[in-house]
Amino acid sequence: MGLVSWLIAVPFLTMLGVVATPANRSHWIRWISAVGCGIQLALTALLTWRYWIVASADFEAMNTATLTQLHFVERVPWFESLGIQYFVGVDGISVAMVILTSIIIFTGVLASWYVDIRTKEFFSLLLLLVTGVFGVFLSFDLFLFFMFYELAVLPMYLLIGVWGTGPKEYSAMKLTLMLLAGSAFVLVGFFALYHASGLHTFDLQQLAQADYPRALQRWVFPMIFVGFGVIGALYPLHTWSPDGHSSAPTAVSMLHAGVLMKLGGYGALRIAVYLLPEGAKMWGLFFMALATINILYGSFGAIMQRDLKYFTAYSSVSHCGFVLFGVAALNIMAFKGAVLQMFSHGIMTGLFFGLIGMVYGRTHTRIIPEMGGLGKVMPWLATSFYIAGLASLGLPGLSGFVAETHVFLGGFFGNEWASPWATGTLTLIATMSIVVTAVYVLRGLALVFQGPITNEHFEHLDDAKLPERLSTGLLLATLFFVGLMPWFFIQLTESSLMPLLNRLHEVPVVASLH
Amino acid sequence: MLMLPELMVIATAFAVLLLDVLVPEKRRVVLAPIALAGLALAFFALLATPQDGELLGGRFALDVVTWWFKLLFLLAGFITVLISLDLLDGRVRVRARGIGFRGEYYTILLFTISGMLYLISARDLITLYVSLELCTMPLFLLAAWRRDDLKSGEAGLKYVIYGAFASAFLLYGLSFVYGLTGEMRLDALARQLQGGAPPLLWLAAALIVAGAGFKVTMVPFHMWAADVYEGAPIPVTAYLSVASKAAGLALMFQMFYRVFGPWLHEWSDLIAVFAAVTMTLGNVVAIVQNNIKRFMAFSAISQAGYTILGFLGPLDTGIPAMIFYLLVYIVTNLAVFACIVWYSNETGREQIQDYRGLAQTNPVIALMMMLGLFSLAGIPPLSGFVGKFFLFSVCAGAGYHWLVAVAAINSTVSLYYYLRVVRQMYIEPPEENAPRLTASPTLATTMAALTVGVVLLGIVPVFYETIHGQTITWLAALAQ
Repeated sequence: MGLVSWLIAVPFLTMLGVVATPANRSHWIRWISAVGCGIQLALTALLTWRYWIVASADFEAMNTATLTQLHFVERVPWFESLGIQYFVGVDGISVAMVILTSIIIFTGVLASWYVDIRTKEFFSLLLLLVTGVFGVFLSFDLFLFFMFYELAVLPMYLLIGVWGTGPKEYSAMKLTLMLLAGSAFVLVGFFALYHASGLHTFDLQQLAQADYPRALQRWVFPMIFVGFGVIGALYPLHTWSPDGHSSAPTAVSMLHAGVLMKLGGYGALRIAVYLLPEGAKMWGLFFMALATINILYGSFGAIMQRDLKYFTAYSSVSHCGFVLFGVAALNIMAFKGAVLQMFSHGIMTGLFFGLIGMVYGRTHTRIIPEMGGLGKVMPWLATSFYIAGLASLGLPGLSGFVAETHVFLGGFFGNEWASPWATGTLTLIATMSIVVTAVYVLRGLALVFQGPITNEHFEHLDDAKLPERLSTGLLLATLFFVGLMPWFFIQLTESSLMPLLNRLHEVPVVASLH
Repeated sequence: MLMLPELMVIATAFAVLLLDVLVPEKRRVVLAPIALAGLALAFFALLATPQDGELLGGRFALDVVTWWFKLLFLLAGFITVLISLDLLDGRVRVRARGIGFRGEYYTILLFTISGMLYLISARDLITLYVSLELCTMPLFLLAAWRRDDLKSGEAGLKYVIYGAFASAFLLYGLSFVYGLTGEMRLDALARQLQGGAPPLLWLAAALIVAGAGFKVTMVPFHMWAADVYEGAPIPVTAYLSVASKAAGLALMFQMFYRVFGPWLHEWSDLIAVFAAVTMTLGNVVAIVQNNIKRFMAFSAISQAGYTILGFLGPLDTGIPAMIFYLLVYIVTNLAVFACIVWYSNETGREQIQDYRGLAQTNPVIALMMMLGLFSLAGIPPLSGFVGKFFLFSVCAGAGYHWLVAVAAINSTVSLYYYLRVVRQMYIEPPEENAPRLTASPTLATTMAALTVGVVLLGIVPVFYETIHGQTITWLAALAQ
């Protein structure tokens, strides 16, 4: 069993460990989960390091034959008569997403340290969910991909339904059904590709060798893109997101907004654009327009919110719009921006939701007007909140800036299949959201943390405890790391984005690198 | 030799009937083990029988598909006996009225199983029809088993009346087929019809579809299902929901592949519409049910819609996908029903709200029930997902992309109502002082084994690959 399989197995084994522990030993359960996720984090570091060595060796040698390939591949035939196999591996995009997921689940476990209702079930479901997420990012067989995808979505129902707050049953049901309806569309698309290719395989790379008729691409591309768009909060299918995020318990919001929503952008890029380049050309502008609405709608929506979680959820809708905008803009700069934005937004929103959970645990309210002056009693939390907020509005030096710049530049560059006037105008409209974002972030944070303390109960609240400092610290460090050293992620993902471009331009791999 | 499984089932049926008379009431607990042993012996006999051959001048024959159907029938029968025996032996906390008469129960059950075994082996119209009746008539009795219960009586009566109508339709259709060709044997019929289909054949086929659709609970021939399922004792409901549907599919296979084979592609559009309507109606109506048996009835109707997708594709993918899905469906549905039987045995309740808080009083059984329901909804990595995946693939391969979309959306809809049960079990708190319920060893083992089956069938490829491989070999041999 290779490194990549271990990355799927460790969360699963941790889950089994949790299941095997007696339910009344909640302290053991927490520690088992934390240690399991710690091991996962270490494995991720090992994977990144090994991938970096392999990939940079290729890069320096300009070894075009291996530069764009998958590494650490493992294949085992599964349902052979249908060409289904267990096929996992990594490329740069997967590595970036795996890093993101490992960080978020580790901090998520720390953030749920004080969950004391049905602890065992909570951690088992959380770990099951994250097993699914790792599986999606690491599998390159469509059957496997789809399997892990649904595995990642379904535990959400119980996690929100049991441990959530507010109208939790409604939100849980809405979220689950909308996401699974999205996956139903994806499935229809997969079957169409499988049969149209005539290759009798669900192997993503082999399917990418086939030429699909334009008539097929015309309807399959939007099917798959919209299917993934649901989980990527594509307007107007984003409505599950604010309800779901605000009802979910802290760690689940973190995981959901931080990682699960990225499955949408990832799938749209990796599968829809990669397999169906002609469809992407036909529909690119349309989805760019939808994503622009996303960006603006989300940020205007955020201004109006009174609940901190709804506030962050709408801001997520806006930021996920950047991801889809980048994917639909169809050039290398925009693709890089999309991947960076997935990573950056994942960390940022994970931090946001983690902090909201910590603040809520102290104040027992999330209504913005009811709070005020909290910065005086909880300086650590307030500072972290501000940094996350600044990253969100794109302050240079933090991750958001790098990502959004790439997306916007990519948008302005446009592509040869859409009118430059159209893409330029859309990008111009989208950039205006920066101002709106600054308004809601600064205004919201000021209301919560600054001014006099409005409620006398708040005067005796304490600041972050050790596990909380650990998790916020890790997330903050990552924000700065991406902001100050973006070249790391750019180099990590760039070569893996080449196959997508090559397929768009229909040039062989070798020619494009020079 | 070829008929050994059938003969064993019938011999067991008579043995149970005789013992029921000879053995005093206290010792009648041995009847269930005898029925189980008989079915197990029949199962091993089936494993030993070759997958091709014929008897009685070709009126009774075996091939790969026949063999697999028989395996499924025996499996469904075996599990049904396992989940019935607590109820019939009175090892329950809340006694249902009018349950008893064990010997007759097992005998009648064994007779319907033998009817199904003959049905799929039959190679001429008379044998086919007689064995269908052998399989259907005893079910009327089983549905009305709770003698003092009005609902059970109503179930029996409705089942008889609808069943008689369906039978009449079928028989009318078969008589047309005979009249048009003058042949009784299925292969001879197929040869006769090779030349061209006279218009009257369309009418005959429509009548046959109505007859078979009744058994499969294909919409619009599903009307009887909910009332009968609700009235019948739960193990019988379980049996009806799997075995009776399997028998209907066997009948459809017999007529549509063996007789009308050459025109199957002309029927595809119609089958696609039937499938779409069946799964949609079943799902939509299931949403508003509150009684768990009615709920499962509509869930079963929608599952029937998925199963008939297998008829759309070419033989080499359609047949294995359909048989595999039936296997998955039998295991999964009976896993859910085993939990329902257990809950009803312990509490005597059967409303969905009654399952409130089960995850906190009996976490393991709640987990098993949830896995079963999720498998029915087609959630990976459970077997229901894999089974549906293969069927959808067949459907897409035949070019019915719209139907894949309808089916996939329907899976999402079905998740909504399966989640209603999960919600009661997991999210709602238990009633005050709700006791922890116990399960008898037999039922506990059965539930556990079925749950393992639900998971393994989806992960271990050997079952599907075997069915697929054998079907391919069989078709290759046929083509020569």
